[in-house]
Amino acid sequence: MVGAGFVPGLNAVIKGAALAAGRLGWEVAGIRDGFEGLLHPERYPEGGLLPLTPQLIENLDPAASGVLGQSGRIDPFNVRQINADEMVEEVDKSDELLAKLKAEKIDALIAVVGGQGLTILYKLHAKGLNTVCVPRAIENDISATLVSFGFNSALSFTIEMLDKARQAAQAARKIAVVEVLGAQTGWLALQAGIAAGADAVLIPEIPCDLKKVAARLKEKMTNRRSYGLVVVAEGAKLVANTKAKTDQPPADSLKASLSPLATGDNSAHVIQRSGQAADMVATGLQLQIAEETFPLVLGLWARCGVSTAVDRQLGLAYGAGAVQALNSGQDGVMVAFHPPHIKFVPLAEAINKVRTVPAENEFLKTALSLGICLGN
Amino acid sequence: MSNQSTNPSALAGTVLNIQRYCSHDGPGIRTNVFLKGCSLRCKWCGNPESIRVKPELSYDPKKCKGRECSLCLKDPFPKGAFYFTEGEEGPVKVNWALTSSCDQMLCSLCPTGALEMYGKKMTVDEVLAEVEKDESIYRSTGGGITLSGGECMLQPDFSAALLKGAHERGINTAVETACNVPWANIEKVLPHVDTMLHDHKLTIPERHKKWTGVGNERILANFKKAYETFPNTEFIARTPLIPGVNADEEHIRAVLAFIRPHKNVIDYELLPYHRFGLGKYESLGVVYQLDDYKTPSDEVVKHLQAIIDEAFGRTAKKDPLEK
Repeated sequence: MVGAGFVPGLNAVIKGAALAAGRLGWEVAGIRDGFEGLLHPERYPEGGLLPLTPQLIENLDPAASGVLGQSGRIDPFNVRQINADEMVEEVDKSDELLAKLKAEKIDALIAVVGGQGLTILYKLHAKGLNTVCVPRAIENDISATLVSFGFNSALSFTIEMLDKARQAAQAARKIAVVEVLGAQTGWLALQAGIAAGADAVLIPEIPCDLKKVAARLKEKMTNRRSYGLVVVAEGAKLVANTKAKTDQPPADSLKASLSPLATGDNSAHVIQRSGQAADMVATGLQLQIAEETFPLVLGLWARCGVSTAVDRQLGLAYGAGAVQALNSGQDGVMVAFHPPHIKFVPLAEAINKVRTVPAENEFLKTALSLGICLGN
Repeated sequence: MSNQSTNPSALAGTVLNIQRYCSHDGPGIRTNVFLKGCSLRCKWCGNPESIRVKPELSYDPKKCKGRECSLCLKDPFPKGAFYFTEGEEGPVKVNWALTSSCDQMLCSLCPTGALEMYGKKMTVDEVLAEVEKDESIYRSTGGGITLSGGECMLQPDFSAALLKGAHERGINTAVETACNVPWANIEKVLPHVDTMLHDHKLTIPERHKKWTGVGNERILANFKKAYETFPNTEFIARTPLIPGVNADEEHIRAVLAFIRPHKNVIDYELLPYHRFGLGKYESLGVVYQLDDYKTPSDEVVKHLQAIIDEAFGRTAKKDPLEK
């Protein structure tokens, strides 16, 4: 089963698991579109389950995604539906899911999931599901493994795009402010920024002072080098939030009918729309330097393309590792890569931990050595 | 949902909140009773805590004492539901997917009150006892009780008993509803209603589905049937006005064309959208989806209000922006 969130090269994990299971004589089937293939088989005339036969696996391109599809939501404990009375409701279908797995004679489930998916599989495991998870995270924010599947491909693509942004900035004699994925952690921004020779890299772990970024840009920009490249993780924060106040009046000044219990505006839990961080930094810098800034947003582009060699190897290893875990009687675990070993971490220890960039991280030291401003 | 009982005053419903001294949801000064549970999922919803039928956890990190307390990391709190990130100070974090077993009893163990439950079971008598506290104000202002939500028609037996009880006490009654419920629910409640405030959110079914989760065909049929079946009830149409969604002349004119043939629809009110509920999204661990949406400009609101005033033949213009 593949959870929400597109990542290039997911076939590698599927192929790794199917090949390893085949050698043990196990029969393997894939569930289409998250849990949809099981919960709504009527939507799939060809069947909600895809038998992963040796013939299919033999011809499966490990660099490609898509053989099982995916679903935007995989939480069976909280399924939104329109009921027979045409009313919207959320229902718990976890028992139904477990019953269907049993009816299909599925003994164990290998799930390729991100951070939220780990919690869902942890809950299903607590209800009796025999499961092993494979960590998949573009941001590389799952703490229990050093590298999540998908990160390296996103990193490679981001570097490629930053190189192009740099060329564009050079041609236009402007400062490119490029937003990359990373709502909680700055691994992608930091590593890609170093590789692409950015002038500044702003990450969520280090609140940024735009004055310092502006000062560094002024230092680096000359008549002969009249451009700049600033990489911003989408979750980057400013030291003092200088964001202009909205033009909205206080909460008690209009009819409160829409929200009678209103306690006032609070922006802490809104969707951070793609492009917000780039806009904030580009606008903030523009106020302090003469050269023109322009925001660019990579966003979902980083999920596209083909997988890298590293991810292909990692995917095959994770898939095979998941089978190895099941074969050795371990379930309720996540496969983790701690070079040079593949290890198994209990799900209870894998959830609720975000892998952030620590203050003493070598990549930070490298960035500083290279003269990259971190905004602090 | 309400319990079936032979004694109507002992019927219990899930109540979110009772708010006194309200002035915008029906005539006079009123007490609004917010019931929990809604059958729509409007993306602009300012009351996210009213959506789910069951009581649910709310968390205010500002009240949390952090690691020095840590009670919620221990039994009997669900394992993994509350946690701290290594090396980070500050309030406890919540893994909302693991909090479904939290209840009032567990919340009462939180010494700072950071954990609370939205919604509680109350009987008709208990609610009416609260409502009756302002009876003299209702008499002097023409006010009364307004059932709101969520969707009060989702608890039809409880709502009907509550409104009937209010009428028996001489209290004016109103409901605020979107009417996305079976007609049978409405039929139970409306005989006890003096004023029905009802939302015309969007006109085109596909757009209604996009923004609220369902089409509006059944809703419009319910409105029409309600106007015709209950000629002595006063109806006030309303639109939560959101730029980019429905703050346009086309929608306003379509609503007017729908309501004006019915003489018991006495008014059409505009409710300019406001981002009031954002803090509550955080307290529920839910992501707000309308971050970029702004309050409609005064010019737009006044222009649309003028169209309504003209349709109602009013010379004295209403000001929906009135403070």
